[in-house]
Amino acid sequence: MTNILDDYALMSPLRHRNNWLKLAIVLFGLLAGVSSRSPIPPFFIAFCMSFATVTFGKAPLSLYVKLLLAPLSFAAVGVFIIAFFSGSGPEILSFELLGYPLDVRADGFELALLVLARSVSGMCCLYFLALTTPMIELFAVLKASRLPESFIELSMLIYRYIFVFLDMALSIRYAQTVRLGYSSFRRSIRSLGMLGSTLFVRSWEQGDKLFLAMNSRCYDGKMALFEVHRPVGAPELLLTSAYFLLTLALLYLTKNASIV
Amino acid sequence: MHIMEGFLDTPWWQLWFAVSIPVILYGIYKMNRLVSEKREILPLLAVAGAFIFVLSALKLPSVSGSCSHPTGTGIAAIMFGPAISAVLGTIVLLYQALFLAHGGLTTLGANVFSMGIAGPLAAYIVYKAGMKARINFYFVVFLATAIGDWVTYGVTSTQLALAYPQGGILTFEGFLAQLKVFGAIFGLTQLPLAIMEGAVSALLFKYVVNVKSDILVEMKVIEAAVVRKLRGSSA
Repeated sequence: MTNILDDYALMSPLRHRNNWLKLAIVLFGLLAGVSSRSPIPPFFIAFCMSFATVTFGKAPLSLYVKLLLAPLSFAAVGVFIIAFFSGSGPEILSFELLGYPLDVRADGFELALLVLARSVSGMCCLYFLALTTPMIELFAVLKASRLPESFIELSMLIYRYIFVFLDMALSIRYAQTVRLGYSSFRRSIRSLGMLGSTLFVRSWEQGDKLFLAMNSRCYDGKMALFEVHRPVGAPELLLTSAYFLLTLALLYLTKNASIV
Repeated sequence: MHIMEGFLDTPWWQLWFAVSIPVILYGIYKMNRLVSEKREILPLLAVAGAFIFVLSALKLPSVSGSCSHPTGTGIAAIMFGPAISAVLGTIVLLYQALFLAHGGLTTLGANVFSMGIAGPLAAYIVYKAGMKARINFYFVVFLATAIGDWVTYGVTSTQLALAYPQGGILTFEGFLAQLKVFGAIFGLTQLPLAIMEGAVSALLFKYVVNVKSDILVEMKVIEAAVVRKLRGSSA
């Protein structure tokens, strides 16, 4: 994992839009996707979010497609199980695998399709947030959200150190690979153990240093953040409300629809 | 074992949030108390959280050819106890959802329950019991991490089977039958993976004991007498 999605978010033009608006769009998409009873609204949401990410957010299309395909293996396994084992209606497909009868029933298939659609739409919403909003911007939102102070403080510190340790881990891993540390299975287990322990010891020392550095700068458990005020423009508002209304209309229209 | 965004239906994702949130709040309460007692603990918790994230972002070699990720929560549970692991686990899962698209926001509650609460709790219990029984420290670490992983995977399968039981309606038989299916299919990758993560964790602790055992003693993970014995036997 060399590129974290945050890197792309920092370059996205949508970074300079209102954070609350983006968050609202994403949360609306997630909730509408999860509560839909037909696969059509989730696919609509997925399409809209992907379009917004790639066109307005200027995320590279090839990267976006690769990202969407990555988590699909989990979805595929889950969806197959649901399709094959959870139905009780009429059979639509039946065959034997190694002498074990397998059949897809209509309602199982429909449920599987729905779950797949929801997952895809959820992924698209998450990617929209991940590719257009850097974490730094979200911290200001978190601060305003009345979550416990120590929780947010901890999140910010963790965020900072993820990048430090990721660099460290990658260079250690590189050094180990060059020295054939991952050439066989036994060796790679051993190398990984060494990598983990070195990372642990180093992160520990880093923690000590961090405490010293922050204390000498009068850290009292709170880091003040500056939130940039970004007014929502009329075109954004119009586009967002059109999207919301269309999705709600689709949700209402497809509430009893069946596609099989 | 992350459950993907949108994978759980309406009553279930709220339910798992309802189960997880009290535990997270309790963890935050414990953490606040610890931090007000010893202020230097907050930066240490922060680097520990980052450490878990980076560990879980590294790919673990797997026999079946597919790569998988260690959870790292077993190590956290052994070092900080289950309550604080739950808080760290929540933050790490949130970042995984946002940076790596592992898991999701609506399924965060379910994932926190399986990976941040149930797994670490099991690992912690196994670790405490093993240390009390005076079994070899590394073997206990191996067992705790592997069993923590298995519990995580069992809980995830249960969550999925509850949401999608056989027959379409939630009955006990339908749930049990579906649990077997999910368990069998995910077990193919998760059972060997847990053993591997256990081995890596045990090795990790071995190197830490050799290089910088005072950290572990200071955090009351192991007693000084145990370290002396371990270093004596390894030298």
